[in-house]
Amino acid sequence: MEVNWLIIWDFIPQLMKGAQVTVHITVVGLLGGVVLGAIAGLMRAYGNTVINAIAFVYIEVIRGTPIVVQVMFLYFALPVLASIRIDPMTTAVLAIVINAGAYIAEIVRGAVLSISKGLTEAGLAIGLPRWKVIRYIVGPLAFRRLIPPLGNQFIVSLKDTSLFIVIGVGELTRTGQEIMAANFRAVENWTAVAVMYLIMTGVLSLMLRMIEKRMRIL
Amino acid sequence: MTDAIIQFRNVSKHFGPLKVLDEVDLDIHKGEVVVLIGPSGSGKSTLLRCINGWEQITGGDLIINGMSVLGGNKVLREIRQEAGMVFQQFNLFPQMTALQNVAFGPQEVRGLSRKEARDLARELLAKVGLAEKADHEPSELSGGQQQRVAIARALAIKPKVMLFDEPTSALDPELKQEVLNVMRTLAAEGMTMVVVTHEMGFAKQVGTRLIFMEHGKIAVDGHPREVIDTPPNDRMKDFLQHV
Repeated sequence: MEVNWLIIWDFIPQLMKGAQVTVHITVVGLLGGVVLGAIAGLMRAYGNTVINAIAFVYIEVIRGTPIVVQVMFLYFALPVLASIRIDPMTTAVLAIVINAGAYIAEIVRGAVLSISKGLTEAGLAIGLPRWKVIRYIVGPLAFRRLIPPLGNQFIVSLKDTSLFIVIGVGELTRTGQEIMAANFRAVENWTAVAVMYLIMTGVLSLMLRMIEKRMRIL
Repeated sequence: MTDAIIQFRNVSKHFGPLKVLDEVDLDIHKGEVVVLIGPSGSGKSTLLRCINGWEQITGGDLIINGMSVLGGNKVLREIRQEAGMVFQQFNLFPQMTALQNVAFGPQEVRGLSRKEARDLARELLAKVGLAEKADHEPSELSGGQQQRVAIARALAIKPKVMLFDEPTSALDPELKQEVLNVMRTLAAEGMTMVVVTHEMGFAKQVGTRLIFMEHGKIAVDGHPREVIDTPPNDRMKDFLQHV
């Protein structure tokens, strides 16, 4: 079969639909992941022994297992264990939340701990309660250091959505495979899929670089 | 009992098996400028840091302006508002201008309005000779200037006592004087001060009392000029020769 690039135009609309699903899972999943990660990261940085241990176990379990296994567990094992049945899309979003959350927790912990202890002392020394020190002094400083590694995690999570092919979520990679099964245009199809991922990660990188530029890292 | 603003009652501090403060009794009165000296590991910094609860005492009691450091977090926060602290490493908030650094405490802790806090901050920056640097960020200031802003920041919450933990140790020799001058002014205004320092000139000129610490105990407690010129024990004599 000869390579015919023009054929890409025929299945572009279908791929766009898949890309939409990918974006949807990524955005919702990462929103949840950032919230969960911030909580777990702060638990690690400021919590007492028990709170710290809870966050530690969560992070280690997630970081220590492949995301595909986590997805399989959520989709196939959870219904057996707890009779909770969730649809593939929800499973996908949940998997990103839980998976990204663990990595983001470590990013948050690292950023918070990288802020000099002296600044916390200086804040407490003028009589501020601890939460105000975190909210107004350590938080804003840590946030700036968070951006570069967070961007990295966003890109990783976006690409991880391609793994949801295993539970049949109609995201970009899965859509690509469906088209491929119909027309056998491997070169054109997988090139188009790869370019669409590149466009999405490219936009994400660009956005993060703009945020970084606006904020000086102190 | 007494009008002592800081009362160490049999205070001990252990780090594990290590005894850093050994049953210290000490009264510091209003208006005193107490200079703490001693070899490293003698407990002088720990003594200072116990006063506003950076180090938790493990024995005895320590009362600041009528409040015990053992009174829990809320009391500790009140103590910290009465005992301003200046650190060796300045520790200015890097995301804020000099003015914001000074205004932050009064606004967030003392409940002043934004304008009142800024006016107070301007006044205090002028006092430490940095009125024209109000809108500069810490990274644009020299070490000496940063330390003077840090002093203004501590003064802004209107403390009754000022604690200085080696305030000039991180500064180049030519920058030390500008910080010491500010401290001189404060002392002249009657501020109660506790200063850990190696500046013997400052101790003699400004100090009203000198304490030499050794092995977690107060080894010498006297008038700075007298005890520096004629050290009452050999260890202190030896120490002074090395400063």
